[in-house]
Amino acid sequence: MSGISANAAGEALPPPLVVRGVGKSYGEDAGELNEVIGDISFSLASGEIVSLVGPSGCGKTTLLNLLSGLIPPTRGSVLWHGKPLHDVPKGVGYMLQKDLLLPWRTTLKNVTLGLELTALSQGEREKKAHAILNKVGLASFHGYYPSALSGGMRQRVALARTLVTEPEVILLDEPFASLDFQTKLILESDMVKLVRSEGRSVLMITHDVEEAVSLSDRVIVLTHRPSSIKAIHEIHLDADRGDMMAVRDSAQFTGYVREIWSQLDVRMGER
Amino acid sequence: MSGAQGTSARKWSGNQFRRRAVVIFCQAALLVVVLAAWEFSTAGKALNAFLFGSPSEIWDFLVKMWKDGSLVKDFGVTGLETILGFVLGNVIGTVIGLALWYSRFVSRVVQPFIVALGSIPIIALAPIMIIWFGTGLASKVAMSTLSVVVVALVIAYKGATGVDQDQINLMRTLGASKWQIFRKLVIPSSLGDIFAGLKLTVGFALIGAIIGEFMSSSEGLGHAIFKAGSLYIVPKVFAALVVTIALALFLSFLVGKLERFLMPWCKTD
Repeated sequence: MSGISANAAGEALPPPLVVRGVGKSYGEDAGELNEVIGDISFSLASGEIVSLVGPSGCGKTTLLNLLSGLIPPTRGSVLWHGKPLHDVPKGVGYMLQKDLLLPWRTTLKNVTLGLELTALSQGEREKKAHAILNKVGLASFHGYYPSALSGGMRQRVALARTLVTEPEVILLDEPFASLDFQTKLILESDMVKLVRSEGRSVLMITHDVEEAVSLSDRVIVLTHRPSSIKAIHEIHLDADRGDMMAVRDSAQFTGYVREIWSQLDVRMGER
Repeated sequence: MSGAQGTSARKWSGNQFRRRAVVIFCQAALLVVVLAAWEFSTAGKALNAFLFGSPSEIWDFLVKMWKDGSLVKDFGVTGLETILGFVLGNVIGTVIGLALWYSRFVSRVVQPFIVALGSIPIIALAPIMIIWFGTGLASKVAMSTLSVVVVALVIAYKGATGVDQDQINLMRTLGASKWQIFRKLVIPSSLGDIFAGLKLTVGFALIGAIIGEFMSSSEGLGHAIFKAGSLYIVPKVFAALVVTIALALFLSFLVGKLERFLMPWCKTD
């Protein structure tokens, strides 16, 4: 539904997220300028999955907080549906490497957290939460506390919590980095299928090049600090994009990974 | 497979049970040895029974205090003072401590005053509490409250400000207001610290009540200890001390029960 980029009158709508010349520096008052983000511009189209990859310490998390409106940029602007962002916008989903589940809430109550801040009744909230838990394969775990779930299951609950509010744009910060390889592939597949079927836009920040290539329509490579854009790759793979093993077996996969890896300019023994 | 697992599990829990029994046995043995050494050394005049009392005399006093009803009455009086001071001090301290999360500015303004209040030895406040609240229950409750309130405040504030910033960011992206973040995230996150504080302050509340009774009183365990001490009835002092220990253990037990009741997601075993 939100995959369409034109309204009823046929006018082109602005993309949900446009980043225009954004930069961020810290410590300007102290006189010692620490420039984290130099100059970054890109846009995220409706229904598109874009990954940002960069070397360690390139300010990825700062960038994510800028895009979600949690912190203001020093330079440039972030446009949300064509309007400059001043605070956290409505319709943004946010998922980190940490599952951030609340230990005193059951799985169901963790998923309904975001809906409790809306006007929905408890019945409607729980109906939606049950539906999404079913989609992420945790239907029978709704009454469990997070302490009783495995790492992969907890991250599934976090995914359900992110999707249940039906965000237009989902911002992900290395969401699968703490999972073992098998769990990661399964969860990636499930997430991609859900997100693509619902036409949501995803911006993922990661240092895992394979993850970026396998999931994304576009991969943006960032430089060292102060980070700026080094290269942009459109990813075309001859495989079912929802199957993370098939994607890795496709002819083009290794080529993309090698090229992006070389652009990352990873230097051994250095940070 | 499952049979073997079952046996090994039973064997393991059997071992655990045995280890626990050994610990309890050693604890009982230690107590018996100390009491016996105490008893025999006073009976054999190695220790002066007038200065040190003896376990049998202490027991006689406990029986006597039980029979004339003073044990139950003093236990109840001091217990009531302690519980009232504990509840008041924790409610006031926790509410202020959590509320300070709301405004960094206000918390910065009041910080030195809280540090100053916290540094006053509680006993130094006793005369003023007696002048303000009289020599009855109120002054003991006031002393008990004062022993608790600053500690409870600092613990609640530490708990509230210790909430994970990522967690707050998540709440913000979900569209939560500051009040919603406070109610749904900060308060429940702080409960763990607040309960650790309750376990700590229950002892402080008892100290406050006993100090209050020492200064001026006509009943309570502090009164019994002070009076018996003034009259050099050492075994009676010890007997009242035993009752005080029993009160402290009883109150800690209640706090533990309350924690399990209010925080079912925490498995404390």
